[in-house]
Amino acid sequence: MENIRVQDITQLDPKTLGILWTDGKKSALDVVMLRRKCPCAACIDEWSHEPRLKPEDVKDTVRPVKIESVGLYALTIHFNDGHRTGIYTFKYLRDLAPLASSGD
Amino acid sequence: MGIMDRITERFTSKGSTKQPVTLDETTVLNALRVVQDPDLHKDIVTLGFVRNVKISAATGGLEGQHEVSLEVNLTTPACPVKEQLKTQCEEALMALPGVSSTKVTMTASTRGALPLNTGSPVAASLGQVKNIIAVASGKGGVGKSTTAVNLAWSLAKSGSKVGLLDADIYGPSIPLMTRLNAGATASGTLVEPPQVDGVKIMSVGMFGQGGKATIMRGPMAAAVIKQFLSQVAWGELDYLVIDYPPGTGDIQLTISQTAPVTGAVIVTTPQEVALIDVRKAISMFETLKVPVLGVVETMSHFICDGCDKKHFIFREGGGARVASEHGVAFLGEIPMDQGLVQASDEGKPYVTSHQKSPVASAFASVAGAVASQVSILHAENKNVLQHFSLEWVH
Ligand SMILES: Nc1ncnc2c1ncn2[C@@H]1O[C@H](COP(=O)(O)OP(=O)(O)O)[C@@H](O)[C@H]1O
Ligand SMILES: [Mg+2]
Ligand SMILES: [Zn+2]
Repeated sequence: MENIRVQDITQLDPKTLGILWTDGKKSALDVVMLRRKCPCAACIDEWSHEPRLKPEDVKDTVRPVKIESVGLYALTIHFNDGHRTGIYTFKYLRDLAPLASSGD
Repeated sequence: MGIMDRITERFTSKGSTKQPVTLDETTVLNALRVVQDPDLHKDIVTLGFVRNVKISAATGGLEGQHEVSLEVNLTTPACPVKEQLKTQCEEALMALPGVSSTKVTMTASTRGALPLNTGSPVAASLGQVKNIIAVASGKGGVGKSTTAVNLAWSLAKSGSKVGLLDADIYGPSIPLMTRLNAGATASGTLVEPPQVDGVKIMSVGMFGQGGKATIMRGPMAAAVIKQFLSQVAWGELDYLVIDYPPGTGDIQLTISQTAPVTGAVIVTTPQEVALIDVRKAISMFETLKVPVLGVVETMSHFICDGCDKKHFIFREGGGARVASEHGVAFLGEIPMDQGLVQASDEGKPYVTSHQKSPVASAFASVAGAVASQVSILHAENKNVLQHFSLEWVH
């Protein structure tokens, strides 16, 4: 995992983010799930690591406005509910959804 | 079968070398496969460095003899083994039957990151900068700015397009060290950096509230540095060297998250206290996944007038030790030299004012090592989308 990075990033459909990783694997990430799994300090308790955000706090209609890289290790998502403090490391993203091989 | 075997076989099967041999581009390229790039660990043909192969009849009408001319396009003009590669190419070509002379031209196109996505806030300022090199240190006073200036000048001397960005909001020193007296000029919404010896320079000290930076608190400093990074018209550059503020606080983080930094050079003195801070600096970049290009040790030893011997006044080899501990390259050591202090005070980069000095050649060798590390990085990261911004379509 150490050096696995993003090779390409695309919007697959209205609610799915697609990432092609440098090892050829692919992730398809549901954006509502991403909002619910936001790793920021407001959404996850820093000490207990318990989620502070309840799934019902996030509407199914939430969508990203913009997705941007952070350094060479993460990305951040500006959501249309105004939330934008989550820094999703590539490692975190790879663990969020099952990976598919390239060509699938 | 290696190319040397193949050459030998050709000699033995055809017998006499007087017999005209078909010499074509494939033969030439195959012959050059024995020449390896020591950094990238591949041969120069596989790497795609060989261009414009031309085979012509030898001048003087020697029967069956040819001149082969070609270009070897390296990944950086600062390549430290340029001459060595050239010689190896010439030898490999001369070993071919039917070759009586060679013309090998060494050129370079600096490799860089993939283009910045246009949505990036720094796209206008840094979008055409191929490589951004952070020069950082665990603490102040270790020779970081001196290294940044001389690294920039050494890279420029080898033929690269270079910029130098002084981001040390706590003590901007680049304008003084380079005798920069021209101010920045406006260019649309951006600021055009002035040049000294062909190096484009911009300092937080010249920018907005730079002078008040020392009393600026965290969020304010972060806002200033972000604005600073997005508003300078750097244009097309091979390397942009950034003189970081010393230490590992929020401001260093902000710079690394805002600018698409290619890699970091960590500067240290050999003493143990400095080395503790170096470990912190390396960890910071590792956490940010900014590759550490290596460690430079300054004020390593001094060469005295009398005997030309290296006197190590601090413990020897600290920089090299910390580099190997972290599995990063040791980029070289810069001797202690009083002349450097004077040159800095007079605003003359040492590599131009004292070209023949041991310090100047030490800096040139560090610059070569940095350029090599950058090339290695690009070879490893061929497919990485370094910086992106995706607008969601509803
Ligand atoms: N190799 C060297 N030999 C002698 N003095 C040096 C050397 N490198 C730097 N210095 C001097 O040490 C002081 C601190 O260097 P500087 O580059 O400003 O450090 P930093 O940017 O890390 O604070 C300056 O006076 C500089 O001239
Ligand atoms: Mg300094
Ligand atoms: Zn959050």
